[in-house]
Amino acid sequence: MTRIGRVRRFGAVNWLGLRTLAWRESSRGLKDYNYQVLGPVISSLLYLAIFHLAMTSIGWSGERSLLDFIAPGLIIFVACEKAFENACGSFIFDKHERVIADLLMAPLSALERVMGYLSGASLAGIVVGGAVAIVSLLFARLGLHDLGALLFFGLMGTILHALIGILVGIWAERWDSFSAVHTFLLLPLSFLSGLFYRVENLPELGQAIIRFNPVFYVIDGFRYGMTGEAVAPLLTGALVLSLVNLTLFALAWHWFRRGYRLKP
Amino acid sequence: MQRSQLPPSRAAPIFPPIMSRTLAPRRYGTVNWIGLWTLYRKEVRRFWTVATQTVLAPMVTTLLFLAVFVLALGRGANAVGGVSYMEFLAPGLIMMAMTQNAFANTSSSLLIAKIQGNIVDLLMPPLSPVETTLALALGGLTRGVVVGVATAAAIWVFVPLTVAEPFFLVFHAVMASLMLAQIGVLAGIACDKFDHLAGITNFVVTPLAFLSGTFYSTERLPEIAQVLAHLNPFFYMIDGFRYGMIGHADGSLLLGIVTLTGVNAALLLINYRGFKTGWRLKA
Repeated sequence: MTRIGRVRRFGAVNWLGLRTLAWRESSRGLKDYNYQVLGPVISSLLYLAIFHLAMTSIGWSGERSLLDFIAPGLIIFVACEKAFENACGSFIFDKHERVIADLLMAPLSALERVMGYLSGASLAGIVVGGAVAIVSLLFARLGLHDLGALLFFGLMGTILHALIGILVGIWAERWDSFSAVHTFLLLPLSFLSGLFYRVENLPELGQAIIRFNPVFYVIDGFRYGMTGEAVAPLLTGALVLSLVNLTLFALAWHWFRRGYRLKP
Repeated sequence: MQRSQLPPSRAAPIFPPIMSRTLAPRRYGTVNWIGLWTLYRKEVRRFWTVATQTVLAPMVTTLLFLAVFVLALGRGANAVGGVSYMEFLAPGLIMMAMTQNAFANTSSSLLIAKIQGNIVDLLMPPLSPVETTLALALGGLTRGVVVGVATAAAIWVFVPLTVAEPFFLVFHAVMASLMLAQIGVLAGIACDKFDHLAGITNFVVTPLAFLSGTFYSTERLPEIAQVLAHLNPFFYMIDGFRYGMIGHADGSLLLGIVTLTGVNAALLLINYRGFKTGWRLKA
C-alpha cells in the first residue's frame, strides 16, 4: 500500500508486458487446438492427398518427387496463413467486442505493442507449421539442407504475414475486410507463388511477374532450406523480404503511435 | 388541428369495416405461398447484398485452383476420360464451388440467427416445418446455382466447356446444391457455436468434397480407394455433373440418380423433424 503512490519503472523495455502480450496472442490462436491446429493440418493433408491421387489417376509421367516439392511450400503456406489470421483476427475481434482499450491502456510503448502482436502471431504460425510438417511426412520425404535458410525464410514469411495481419486488423472495421484481403490478396499471392508448381512451368511473362511477389521469395527460400533447390538467388530473396518487412514494420509502428483507427 | 375540424361521425370509426373481416384466423390454403416466397427471398437477398464475398470470392478461389493444378500437373498429364486434364478438372471445380456455397448459405444463415437471437423470426411466422426447410434449402440452392454459373463463366475464358448431356448437367447441379443446402440446414440446426460449424466444414464437408473425384478420376486408383470413393454420395454428384459436361462417367449414372434423390429425401425428412420438434431450436 505504501508503494501505491510511486510510478512503476520498467527499464528501457517492459519485458513483462511484452511477454504477456505475445503469450496472450499466441495462446488465443492455439488454445482451441481441435479447430485451430487440427483444422489446418487436415486441410494440408487433403491437399497432399488429392495431389497424390490426381498424380496416380492421370498416369503422371513427370517427376516422382512432386509431393516432396509441394510439402515444404505447404508447410510455410499454412504457417503464414495462421500468422495472418491470428494477428488480423485479434484486432477485429477486440475492436468489435470493445476490449481494444485493454491493449491501449496497458503500459506498453507502440514498439512493444507491435513486437508483442508480431511475435505472438509468428509463434502461432510456427507451431501450426510444425504440426503440418510432422503429418506431411505421411506423404512426402522432408529433408534438411540448410537450417539457417529454413529458419530465416520461415521467420521472414510468418513475420511478413503477421505484419500484414496487424495492418489490416488496425485498418479494418468489419470481418468482411478480413475475408476480402484473405481471398483477393493473400490467397492469390500464395497460390501463384510457386507453392504447388515449378516456376519454370509458367510462361515467360509469368516468370517475370512472379519476382515482384514477396511470398514467392518466402516459399523459394524455405524450400531451399529443405531440399536445396531454389529458383531465385537467396540473397535477393533475403534483401526483398527484409526491406518489405522493415517497411511494413515501420508503418505498423507509426500507426500504433498515432493511434490510427484505434483511438478516437 | 385538422383532425378536430372533421365532423365527429367521420373522425372516429372504432372498427373500420375491413378490420372485422380480419379478426378471424387467416387462412392460407394448403401451402403458405406468401410466407414461403418471403423467406426464400430473404435468404437470396442475404447473400446477394454481399455478392463480392459470396459469388466473386468463390469464383476467384476456383480460378486459383484451376491455375495451380494445371500448372503443377498439366505437363505430365495424359488424357483423362477422353479429354485433357483441364477439361476433366473444370466440371469438378464448378461442382465443388456450388456445393460449398450452398452449404455455407443455409448453415451460416441458421447459425447466425441462433447466435444473434433472431431465430424466433423464423420460428414464429405461420410457416409449417416443411415450408421453412424448403425455403431455406431453396435459398441455398439458388446460391449454389448462381455461384456455379459465375464460376463456369470465369472458367470458360480459359477452358473450352461443352455440354454433352443437358439433363444430367442440370439434374446434378440442382440435386447436389439442394443436398448440400439441406446438410447446411441440418448443421445449422445442430450447431450452437461457430467453432462447431467450422469443425463440420473442416472435418466432414471439405474432405468429402475434396476426396470425391473433383481432381482425379477414380478409374485408375487402387481397388480399395475406388470402393471407398463410390461409397461417398459426393462422388455421384461430381461424376454425374461431369458426365453432363464431357459425356464420360466413372460410376453408374442410375445409381447416382437414385442416391442423390434418396439422400435428398432423407435429409428433407430429418430437417422436417428438426423444425417440427424444435430440436436445438426451441427452448
